[in-house]
Amino acid sequence: MYAWKCWRESRARFIFLLMMFTATAFLFTLQPGLEVRNGWWYFDRSEYTRDPATLVHVVSLMVLTGLLTSGFLSAVFLGATASGSEIEPRTIEYLWTRPRTRTSVTWTHWGVCVAEMVIVAIVPTYLAAVILGTLTRNWNLSLLLVAPWMMVIVGLPMLGLTTLMTALRRSASGGLITTTAVVSVYMIVRQLVTVPMHLNLPPLFAGPVIWLMNDYQPYAVAFPWGSLGRAVFLAAAFPLAAQYLLKRAEV
Amino acid sequence: MSDAAILTEGFSKSFGARAAVSELNLRIQPGAVYGFLGRNGAGKTTTMRMLLGLVRPTKGSARVLGLDPTHETDLMRILERVGFVPQCKQLYGWATPAELVRMNKAYFPRWSDEAAAQLAQRLEIPMKTAFKKLSVGNQSKVALLLALAQGAEVLILDEPTAGLDPVMVDEILRTLIEDHVSQGRTIFVSSHHLGEVEQICDWVGILEEGHLLLESRLEEIRQEFRLVIASGEGLPAVSSTDVVSATADGRFRRYVVAREAERFAAELRSQGATILEISPLGLRELFLHLVRKEDPCTPGNAGAKAAPVSSFS
Repeated sequence: MYAWKCWRESRARFIFLLMMFTATAFLFTLQPGLEVRNGWWYFDRSEYTRDPATLVHVVSLMVLTGLLTSGFLSAVFLGATASGSEIEPRTIEYLWTRPRTRTSVTWTHWGVCVAEMVIVAIVPTYLAAVILGTLTRNWNLSLLLVAPWMMVIVGLPMLGLTTLMTALRRSASGGLITTTAVVSVYMIVRQLVTVPMHLNLPPLFAGPVIWLMNDYQPYAVAFPWGSLGRAVFLAAAFPLAAQYLLKRAEV
Repeated sequence: MSDAAILTEGFSKSFGARAAVSELNLRIQPGAVYGFLGRNGAGKTTTMRMLLGLVRPTKGSARVLGLDPTHETDLMRILERVGFVPQCKQLYGWATPAELVRMNKAYFPRWSDEAAAQLAQRLEIPMKTAFKKLSVGNQSKVALLLALAQGAEVLILDEPTAGLDPVMVDEILRTLIEDHVSQGRTIFVSSHHLGEVEQICDWVGILEEGHLLLESRLEEIRQEFRLVIASGEGLPAVSSTDVVSATADGRFRRYVVAREAERFAAELRSQGATILEISPLGLRELFLHLVRKEDPCTPGNAGAKAAPVSSFS
């Protein structure tokens, strides 16, 4: 029932994000065939059969860019929505006087968000893959098939960070703003220290993204085990920290 | 395991240097309706929150239905068997009362759909309007419905009737008496409306600055408690364990005596005092004497009846 509540509370944002990224992926996929003739939009399918391999690669990279944005946005917005509104003062009294442990509340919310993130990543990407494969008759779409799963793994730390920040701030909007601030500050600091101090802080998404973007040369870049391992570690560490905070919290 | 529905021993909570609850010892028997009274900030809500695991006690221990609210496993069993209406009745704004009922039903094994439907009808709750669009009164009613329909053995109600009109207050009190008190369920209720407390409670506890000033059966207060007003030189601050409170102003002294007021007055006379008044105390008068010692003479207060009494304040 609590899972239903999380879904009910986050469904508006989930549907909005799903529609937005599906429409974006749809547009990216159909854009090569669209042209204007005499003031009217026409769809020219021959564009897809002229050089299908290159077209698949270019469209895949465009979809991948959209996927990056969707991963970040869905992690932050969904993460803040489902937990935030009820760990704010007042509604927290209601939630924490139901016979459910705070641990189960934290992880149920996390699980619902992960399911929603997977759907937001998979549906637009696989839809683009099906359209692209049908139009080009080139079904070598490994990039599009692998990418959403990798991006979900990369997005999980962001979801965890949002959960943690929301728990820290005890506010949905506070969690969202703080997560965005933490990520922005990290990226700025990383830029500032890299050159003058010769420090190389780990980038947030670079490993998997670079690997995915070199899809047509699979051995040019090593598989990003390090980035994915770090993502998995943070994906577990942040919600665990949030769980600890909430278990210790008083109302 | 204790046979008390709620038992606390040396229960204390401090926020930094400020003690919100100090050495609280409560023993609420099963089936009792216990009115927990006190001024704002006296520690009533903190006590209730500690009993429900929302706040950890700094010191002392508590048992609710024989279970320890500081242990998670016990707490889950407590929460299954205890209904709670918080002071601030804020639920999910997007949810309708019907959705809230559906959600709560899944949490509580003893949930009664029949009771929920009856309460919804009786309290005239619009079940299909989003919670945030309901009036404050209707929001309070929804919170009460959720607590009452869960089939709780103990109800912890923190100002349950705040924001309700007199007709609804009466309806809720009747519901509590008919559906809960008559079935032997325990109710632990805090309220600023002393009339309501007198209507439903059989026990009262008065809390002031975290200390329990008084705990007594309501019937005993009505029958035994007296206000004794005396004047004279060198009157004792407290001369008996039966004296609940004593306030002084110059030559005059006011004693709230728990029992044998006549004997106590005779003792004072033997010490040269003049007894100006011995009068019975209602809950309201008693409460005001205990928590507002510096100015007890307010309308409706026993102290306001006789002219000389005002000079004590």
